[in-house]
Amino acid sequence: MATEHETETLPGEGGGVYASFIRWMENLSETQFAYFLLTPALLLLGAIAFWPLLSTFRLSLFADAITGTSTVGEFVGIQNYLAVLTGERNALLPAPFIPTSLSVKAIFGSALTVTLIFTIASVFFETIIGFGQALVLDQDFRGRRWARVVIIIPWAVPIVIQGMIFYLFFAPGIGPFVGEGPLSLQQAGILSDSPLQTTIDAAMITIVADIWKTTAFMALLILAGLQSVNRDLYDVARVSGASTWQRFKLITLPIVLPTVLVAMLFRTIQAMRVYGIIEASGVGCSTLPSLSCLVVTSFFGGTRLVGTAATVAFLTAAFIGLVVTVYIIGYAREEGA
Amino acid sequence: MTTSQEDPTVAGSFDERELERGPIQEWVNRAIEDPERAYRAMFYVAMLFFMVTTLFPFYWLLVVAVTPGSSYALVPAGVDLSAFGSVFERIDFLRYMFNSLFLATVTTVFVLLLASLAGYVFGRLEFPGRQPLMLLILAISYFPPAAFFLPLYRLFTGNVFPWLELYNTPGSMVLPFSSLFMPLSIFILTTFYGQIPDGLEDAARVEGTTRLGALFRVIIPLSAPGVATAGVLTFIAVYNEFFFSFLMTDGGAGDWAPIVGGLIQLQRAGQFEVTFSVMAAGSIIAVLPVTILVVVAQEKIVSGLTSGALKE
Repeated sequence: MATEHETETLPGEGGGVYASFIRWMENLSETQFAYFLLTPALLLLGAIAFWPLLSTFRLSLFADAITGTSTVGEFVGIQNYLAVLTGERNALLPAPFIPTSLSVKAIFGSALTVTLIFTIASVFFETIIGFGQALVLDQDFRGRRWARVVIIIPWAVPIVIQGMIFYLFFAPGIGPFVGEGPLSLQQAGILSDSPLQTTIDAAMITIVADIWKTTAFMALLILAGLQSVNRDLYDVARVSGASTWQRFKLITLPIVLPTVLVAMLFRTIQAMRVYGIIEASGVGCSTLPSLSCLVVTSFFGGTRLVGTAATVAFLTAAFIGLVVTVYIIGYAREEGA
Repeated sequence: MTTSQEDPTVAGSFDERELERGPIQEWVNRAIEDPERAYRAMFYVAMLFFMVTTLFPFYWLLVVAVTPGSSYALVPAGVDLSAFGSVFERIDFLRYMFNSLFLATVTTVFVLLLASLAGYVFGRLEFPGRQPLMLLILAISYFPPAAFFLPLYRLFTGNVFPWLELYNTPGSMVLPFSSLFMPLSIFILTTFYGQIPDGLEDAARVEGTTRLGALFRVIIPLSAPGVATAGVLTFIAVYNEFFFSFLMTDGGAGDWAPIVGGLIQLQRAGQFEVTFSVMAAGSIIAVLPVTILVVVAQEKIVSGLTSGALKE
């Protein structure tokens, strides 16, 4: 493609080096040119994404160096994984990885189970509320644009401000839901005296905070699914005498379901990495030890557990991968049906 | 105010006489005759519910910010705007805001540049390894930030190469932000660049433009909506980010900590040092840039989020 003619007529040529660079680039084959243009992006991703991932994995295969100056101890293979998964490492960790007993307190106090509870509860409610919001936004009404803006805004709120809002709801002596007012959830016996420092209350608060912020994402995706439904189907159903509920159940739901599954998948991946809202709402990782929390606290904690921290980080990714697989199987089944 | 969603006519309906229909029975009867009415009513109730639940946290933030003294109620006892001034005295709020906007802008420009090149390659060129490479890049967005954190922290604190110490500098955040948020932009731009007809690029090439010139003078300008979408989403993502913003600096304004550092510092100082009003006022000011962006660019956000997620 590239010819001498093209390089000669280039406007604003800077000189020999620039011209020969252009000529070199123009003479690359399509494959060479493709990889040439990808170089900057691949260099960045290689150094800041792939290298850290592999390096984390490598660290997870070494023992913790609790004393001494080296980062990690000797090579132990999958020992760390076994120790963390069987609960053998629980005592060393800032918070247990798996619950030591089946009591509610132990389940909420352990990283894996509390993260799963957080994920399941928030994704469940987000799906239902998001579906409701999508159905509302799918109607034609005046001010629809503004209704959509209102629903999107929480999604765009920085996590630290989301945390601050819920801190200002539940910190002692402030907020309509604590203290002695008519709306007090403490009077109603739902929240304890210091909800932000009580594990189960803190879990509820962060779940509500997550639902408030991220339902919009769900709603927008489901709305896109709703709008892809062919309106003629509704007319046919109406002529055949189907009620609004039947139209929803027999037309809308089956068509939208794959979209809902994709939206749930994305939200699940994000909910499993929960960290920011826990720190920003004043709850803190010691009260609500999510998986991401556990990585950070065991890395920075008094005893340096670098190998264990890396193991927990990779297990987090592995559990997310497990959930993704479940969704993909469900999605394939839905598509096949 | 927030919880009462029930029909206001319920209360009066019980003491009505049998033969005379109460308002609720009247309403139910009409609803049975014309079900659309019932759905309409449900729509308005749902609408009201969603608006109230979405906006109430912002209302509360505003109430806390303007309430004088320290007893907070749903309706503020008075309006005192002094907290909006004192937030600038308690912390170097302007510097934090500047840091946040600076980090978001630099990352956005950087991501758009690299993702444009990659999007052009994936959207318009055929070459061996195209599909596996795209999958590899998309796979990054699946991993939790914690899985990247330990080596990056060690790298940026100078534990890997002594000469490379980026902790407490913009680089320690811009680099992770860029690599974590770039896959979405690459994906959006691939879709947009792929849609430009080949003829337009060929025409530019015949006119004597280089391949790169065709990208920057023809394809990118024609895909302006796509570039804007990717830019807005990246900007919001960085402005909202918590994990690396919180962990890659010591949290001071001079350490290039974004607004995360400022607000956490206010919160940790405790209510006796810093009043709740000041924390709320700081949050309100810090949330303004993204709110404006959402109002201005909502179409872009909606299309970017849905296309980014649904086609992946």
